[in-house]
Amino acid sequence: MTAEATMPAGRTTAPLVASVDGLKVYFQTKAGLVRAVDGVSFDILDGEILGLVGETGCGKSVTARSFLRLIPTPPGVYAGGRIDFWSREAREHVAPPVDLLKISPADLLTIRGNRIAMIFQDPGKALNPAMPIGDQVAEVFYQHRSQELLDVWEGRAPRIMRRAASQRTRTIERLALRFPPLRSQARRLRRRVDELVAGALAETQIPNPRKIMSSYPHELSGGMKQRVMIAQALACNPDLLIADEPTTALDVTIQARIVELIRELQERHQTAVLYITHDLSLVRRVADRIAVMYAGRIAEMGDTDDVFYEPQHPYTRGLLAAVPSFAHKRGELSAIEGTVPELIDPAAACRFNTRCAHATDLCRSVDPALIARPGHRTVACHAYASPEMLGVAADRLPHVDGGPL
Amino acid sequence: MVDTAARRSVLPTSGPLAVRVKRFGEVARDVLSNPTTVVGLVIIVALIGVALLAPLITEPNRPDPYQMPRDWTALNEPPGTPGHLLGTTSTGGDVLYGVLWGARTSLQMSAIVVSITMVVGTIMGSIAGFIGGKVDEVIMRIVDVFLAIPELIFALAIAAVLGPSFANIIFALTVVFWVKYARIIRGQIIHVKQNEYVDAARVIGDSRFNIYRRDVLPNSITPVVVQATLDMGNIVLVGATLSFIGLAEAGLAEWGVLVSEGQAGISAGRWWASTIPGAMVFLWALAFNLFGDGLRDVLDPRTEGR
Amino acid sequence: MTTLRDDTPPVGRRVEAEPVITLRAVQKYFPVREGVFQQIVGNVQAVDGVSFDVPRGQTVGLVGESGCGKTTLGRCIAGLTDTTGGGVYFRLSDRDRRFLDEFDGTPAERRTSEQRAQAAAIDAAHRIDRLKGDAWRVYRRNCQFVFQDAFSSLNPRQLVKDIVGRPLRVHREASGADLIGRVVALLESVGLGRQHLYRYPHQFSGGQRQRISIARALALDPEFIVLDEPTSALDVSVQSQILNLLHELQQERGLTYLFITHDLGVVRLMSDKIVVMYLGEVVEQAGADELFASPRHPYTEALLAANPDLLERGEEAEMRGLEGTVPDPARPPHGCRFHTRCPVATPRCGWEVDDAVAWLLDNTTVLNEMSGVERTSDFEATLRFGGDEASAEARSLLDGEAPRPMRSALVELGVHGPELRIRFDPIERVRLDDVGEGHLTSCILHTGCAEGG
Repeated sequence: MTAEATMPAGRTTAPLVASVDGLKVYFQTKAGLVRAVDGVSFDILDGEILGLVGETGCGKSVTARSFLRLIPTPPGVYAGGRIDFWSREAREHVAPPVDLLKISPADLLTIRGNRIAMIFQDPGKALNPAMPIGDQVAEVFYQHRSQELLDVWEGRAPRIMRRAASQRTRTIERLALRFPPLRSQARRLRRRVDELVAGALAETQIPNPRKIMSSYPHELSGGMKQRVMIAQALACNPDLLIADEPTTALDVTIQARIVELIRELQERHQTAVLYITHDLSLVRRVADRIAVMYAGRIAEMGDTDDVFYEPQHPYTRGLLAAVPSFAHKRGELSAIEGTVPELIDPAAACRFNTRCAHATDLCRSVDPALIARPGHRTVACHAYASPEMLGVAADRLPHVDGGPL
Repeated sequence: MVDTAARRSVLPTSGPLAVRVKRFGEVARDVLSNPTTVVGLVIIVALIGVALLAPLITEPNRPDPYQMPRDWTALNEPPGTPGHLLGTTSTGGDVLYGVLWGARTSLQMSAIVVSITMVVGTIMGSIAGFIGGKVDEVIMRIVDVFLAIPELIFALAIAAVLGPSFANIIFALTVVFWVKYARIIRGQIIHVKQNEYVDAARVIGDSRFNIYRRDVLPNSITPVVVQATLDMGNIVLVGATLSFIGLAEAGLAEWGVLVSEGQAGISAGRWWASTIPGAMVFLWALAFNLFGDGLRDVLDPRTEGR
Repeated sequence: MTTLRDDTPPVGRRVEAEPVITLRAVQKYFPVREGVFQQIVGNVQAVDGVSFDVPRGQTVGLVGESGCGKTTLGRCIAGLTDTTGGGVYFRLSDRDRRFLDEFDGTPAERRTSEQRAQAAAIDAAHRIDRLKGDAWRVYRRNCQFVFQDAFSSLNPRQLVKDIVGRPLRVHREASGADLIGRVVALLESVGLGRQHLYRYPHQFSGGQRQRISIARALALDPEFIVLDEPTSALDVSVQSQILNLLHELQQERGLTYLFITHDLGVVRLMSDKIVVMYLGEVVEQAGADELFASPRHPYTEALLAANPDLLERGEEAEMRGLEGTVPDPARPPHGCRFHTRCPVATPRCGWEVDDAVAWLLDNTTVLNEMSGVERTSDFEATLRFGGDEASAEARSLLDGEAPRPMRSALVELGVHGPELRIRFDPIERVRLDDVGEGHLTSCILHTGCAEGG
């Protein structure tokens, strides 16, 4: 597999948290079968931030949502591949990984929110407008950390409290909990939950967590809501955090704060992060490694600085040259000709060939596979796989000039 | 303030998964792909066909074809009697004649009422929505008052005051039913006005009327069309009810009148004079409702006004 | 003064004439209504006293985050939204502007009737909300707008040929075959073609729709275009195409742009002069290179720090954000509106009672014991607590742990039983001042001046 090829320098001992192998996700539409993700493979190492970067329609969001099987299955179809996941226990006890695409829904529920957490672009939509913040964050604790809630009783919790902690009480029991003998017990539980929730919120540097806990989502700003989401996501100390464009809807200055926060928390908890974004300058500051996606495939992967300073795939080179920077003069931004191809019944060819300045017949007839290159990088481009077949001498490969165009 | 970054459209706006306004051909194709809608459409065509062809199928009555012809020699004949395929009433009226010419009166009633109410309602609602301010408030308060009164009672009151006649029923229905359109189109216009293409037209310097005509109205009209289709069915229902209770001329070739005439015979087992015209009313209303619902699904309001 | 014929200078001469647009203390407030009778309880101060001009042939970049008022201002300039104060002037000559400055500076009683008449004449000829007839039409033809969302700025039921040809039809410039010819020429100038005439907007990609929008804006050969975040909704590779196109068009046709965006990389590339806005006010204004090389306002610095250049390496490349949230535009802070979030605020930046209360609210629980607030003004108030300990605690918290600048700004902090009296030195506004070669800033750290109430 690609596991060894992609491990960056200095990380040869880091174990894998997740490994995506040949993931294919298609959508049935009136116009045909859309191959949104068509053979994507990459690894996520423990404790790293992997950035998944691409423009609209490249399949990065679909890839992210596949981890937790959040794609609606009509019209979506998991058409192939696997997503292997090693939780902390699995790594400690050297147990085999689970395939997230194949495990039962019940097993998936124990992982969601607990071992793998996800934060989304629009925190407003992900929070229930009718529930106070405190109650919403508390749910995570009731679901996944009910054991800790019972700490207060030092192992001698009455059965009814044990059920209350995991929210499995029957109606009669809930009624009973409102009255004196059990009411004080219920209050103890509630106080414990509130403590944990306040702690989680405080970690995300929300000022005055107790006040926020009794507020409703509409009373908070976008940045604050995103912090609540992060608190909720990290409450159970997950092994993997998936962030799907978490700051796109926020102002630039708030965005920077949230990104700083994610990095601090990530370092403290040593959580692996899969960070999805279309913003190249942002991902540059966030990620340890980057995977660039194009038209449902990975074009190139490697350490962040390597990819930015020596982009190898023609698409990456074109993209970096198109972002305005102080090196550019007005009117001289590099532009990639053409548009993204339709993903319905794509031809067997390199998906980028219609827009690539170096395309050859080989590119137009054969799909390039991801190949390993020195410096722990991978690229999906024929020019690197078989320069002789292209009739190009090795020293005239696109990467020779190096650096952004 | 609009959060500029958040306006990055989450729904795709081009390509196969796009959300967009449908062209007429697409609408037709989508409508025909739904079986219940097609059933409704077929029945509508049949009913309208029957209404138009009535003079050819049965000999029009003289002097007034809309009065039921009486054959005093054939009273209370059951269906299947030669010369009176669907039987006759207690006064010798031919049920088949009543069914066919009743379709004509129903078509007249619904077509006239819907045309007038749609035009009047759209004009009033457009003024309210487009001009806004005090004008909007005044018009909408009037609309609210009208809408507060149940349709049937309202129409009944008007027709009763004016005296029993088919023309008065049509008048009453028109007065009652226009407000719905005003409200619908006003809501749509207020929504559509917020679109940037309306601003774009203002920046070009186009007149308000032109902006209304070319940008606002075409993008607001769809729910009105759906409502008109549904009303074609419901107006006949209400109209038949009014004539059933006697607010039309006696002896009119109209389904409600026929149901009323044949009522007395039911306990004696003579079901045909009442049930058959009653079933026609039901069929008419059902057909237009099926088609109208199907049309509404296809013209899904979520893609409108974009 | 003179009636305005349509003497738009020919392309070659466009760079020499007067500024196309001059803003003088433009203000736009939106009323906030509450209650059964919809009473006006306050105003959202979306744009509050903005003045700058857009020199002919140049691009002025208007930059800021959400809520700063840049879109509202763009719409006021294009005549889509009325101003509630101040004026937007079209082709105001320097001489007339100097006259108006003097006129505004003279107290009302000392203005002669000739002066008033002259001021009124200038307004009638140049102020866009006073223009009528031909003068209005000249303005309308020469000032166009490109919207952010190309999807919703094109009528989904109209063909491209009608969308782009509409300005020509409305102003009766062409019809029939001539019209089609001109539309095709416009489409070609934005990189589209004759084959696109008979299609609907939904059949195009985002980038193409934006091109159609630009073609429409060019139809009447205007001299000025307001571009409101024209590429924010587009992917990077498409954005670069559109930005290149905009530059090319500007060169060919001598266009003047007002480029509104929140993206610093784009504004730096495309602008000659940049205006930075925060919460309805201009905080800094300078030439593009100058602004990036030496920013003179903490907010500009924060924007730059949050958005480091793609190619920047090393320490400066670290992304740094800003604490806090944008204050409510219906109750903007006094003095410098940025002082509530500013990392280098001074005691003279406009601290007020709301700041102290907000700090206590966010960082302590002592306000749970508060029973009432009595305000003498925005700078002076008495907080009443349930007991003496609470007020004493509040005092010691403010004295010991509150941010230094706020603490130093407190003129009075006294406890009288269960009451805590707070008083700040009133600083109402800060002024935009020139700190050298047309570089304007409102930060007192650089200008050294603030005005009392």
